[in-house]
Amino acid sequence: MAPKATMVIMAMTGGTATSFPMSNHTRERVTVAKLTLENFYSTLITQHEEREMRQRKLEKVMDEEGLIDEEKKMRRSQHARKETEFLRLKRTRLGLDDFESLKIIGRGAFGEVRLVQKKDTGHIYAMKILRKADMLEKEQVAHIRAERDMLVEADGAWVVKMFYSFQDKRNLYLIMEFLPGGDMMTLLMKKDTLTEEETQFYIAETVLAIDSIHQLGFIHRDIKPDNLLLDSRAYSTVGTPDYIAPEVFMQTGYNKLCDWWSLGVIMYEMLIGYPPFCSETPQETYRKVMNWKETLVFPPEVPISEKAKDLILRYCSDAEDRVGAVSVEEIKSHPFFEPVDWDHIRERPAAISIEIKSIDDTSNFDEFPESDILQPISVTNATEQDYKSKDWVFLNYTYKRFEGLTQRGSIPSYMKAGKL
Amino acid sequence: KRKFEPGTQRFELHKKAQASLNSGVDIKAAVQLPHGEDLNDWVAVHVVDFFNRINLIYGTICEFCTEKSCPVMSGGPRYEYRWQDDLKYKKPTALPAPQYMNLLMDWIEVQINNEEIFPTSIGIPFPKNFIQICKKIVCRLFRVFVHVYIHHFDRIILMGAEAHVNTCYKHFYYFGTELNLIDRKELEPLVS
Ligand SMILES: Nc1ncnc2c1ncn2[C@@H]1O[C@H](COP(=O)(O)OP(=O)(O)OP(=O)(O)O)[C@@H](O)[C@H]1O
Repeated sequence: MAPKATMVIMAMTGGTATSFPMSNHTRERVTVAKLTLENFYSTLITQHEEREMRQRKLEKVMDEEGLIDEEKKMRRSQHARKETEFLRLKRTRLGLDDFESLKIIGRGAFGEVRLVQKKDTGHIYAMKILRKADMLEKEQVAHIRAERDMLVEADGAWVVKMFYSFQDKRNLYLIMEFLPGGDMMTLLMKKDTLTEEETQFYIAETVLAIDSIHQLGFIHRDIKPDNLLLDSRAYSTVGTPDYIAPEVFMQTGYNKLCDWWSLGVIMYEMLIGYPPFCSETPQETYRKVMNWKETLVFPPEVPISEKAKDLILRYCSDAEDRVGAVSVEEIKSHPFFEPVDWDHIRERPAAISIEIKSIDDTSNFDEFPESDILQPISVTNATEQDYKSKDWVFLNYTYKRFEGLTQRGSIPSYMKAGKL
Repeated sequence: KRKFEPGTQRFELHKKAQASLNSGVDIKAAVQLPHGEDLNDWVAVHVVDFFNRINLIYGTICEFCTEKSCPVMSGGPRYEYRWQDDLKYKKPTALPAPQYMNLLMDWIEVQINNEEIFPTSIGIPFPKNFIQICKKIVCRLFRVFVHVYIHHFDRIILMGAEAHVNTCYKHFYYFGTELNLIDRKELEPLVS
């Protein structure tokens, strides 16, 4: 269906070569606006055609059944009523009430992630809750919004699917596909280190995931093990936005190559067992990242292959000569990936299998204590005003997208095998 | 600051209006009320969708649309828009464009969030004056386009988003005219 073509169209937007001064917020807004409009107008045709097709099908069926005019009239008006209900459903907004919160499965910078169940359909999702106040304070609104839209727009198998989004006074809610495998961080904590073969697999997967995001015109900037989520076949998928490249900290600017640096750091951690710049304090880590030329060293007690070491050093280097600076092909053809069949990688079973007991199995996630994020707040008029004036940046969270609707009830196929 | 000579403006707009997203859709056909469809539901879903898209478009230039650049909400030197509502601005009031836009977007949001105006549950009827309210929303949304085209289109071009804005505008124009939701008078500033 339509989303397939979307990927192609979006790749075009990727290289917005705008060179006049605008803030990063605006830059992201521009990307998001363009993507949204492109997506909208590329699905408009399909929607229009599908509707006409439904009508033609009805007529055909009625002819085949040899209905009399009276019956045909009745069927047509029934059909029209269904189409009208469908239109209304497109405007149906969802709220917190429509979901039952089952368990907290993650915490992030702006809120938390919960396992939830949609009351009417019984479907399981991951609900990311972002506190508006925290985001505004941290000036992340545009960024989060870009994330939301990235999740929504992306149709690749590589990005977590987003179904709905909505907001209330306090929070934004993103209803996403639940990936029961837990994140790479939890996996690394369980396994300590991975073998070279396992590393090859996960890093290769992540290369494709990151590349798909770059093709959408986005830079992730915050690739880290917690953000690499594993679905039940233990494939990693990029979820959301401290494995940060040195140039990101500098005022001189950065580009998408910063994501490849992060991947180098993760690969080091997978093979060695801890990240290369890890320290007691963030300040010390920061210092080490900035002085990576001295601090990036390989401990002799954990021997790794020359190919692996070379790739890590190609990732963690100055941006100008970092691998991937030319194209992603440069990465894919690195000797470390020699055995990787790039075109068929997703068809192979995952290198590490993660046991999933049932669809709402959260044993791969850490335990989190209850929080009050969903407690209603009693706001005084003063803060109410305050929220109101700030609310407008979130306007676009108000409506569920058509895509969300058409995916209503459709959940990833691997989940269907679960106990729903 | 960008100035438009009458005449050139039309030419410019005409030229830029050529650029559009090649969606392969006959947009004009896509806005027509399908056979057997309820007019109110058809208008409602379009209005909500247009609000979201136009809001995104204004969002791309709102950094440049300031009290300094646009001290009065206008569409060129000949058209000035004044804000009026049932709250603070009982009389039509000239306002800086960013302020006007904020009020406008907030006002529309309140309307479309109101279940009594835009019912979402199946079977609940629309109010009698629904089309009337939608005309007002469409008219106000049209002014966002007028302002963006006449005062900020240079930015839109620098962003490489003219095809996007044009396509959305065209769609909106067809929607407004096909369904008789917009006064010819309102269309004047952008007639080409
Ligand atoms: N779709 C999902 N399915 C399952 N678990 C998820 C999903 N999304 C997030 N999580 C879990 O919640 C955790 C926190 O979510 P996430 O990383 O998106 O928050 P964040 O705000 O981006 O955090 P940070 O700012 O630290 O990156 C993840 O590490 C993961 O364990």
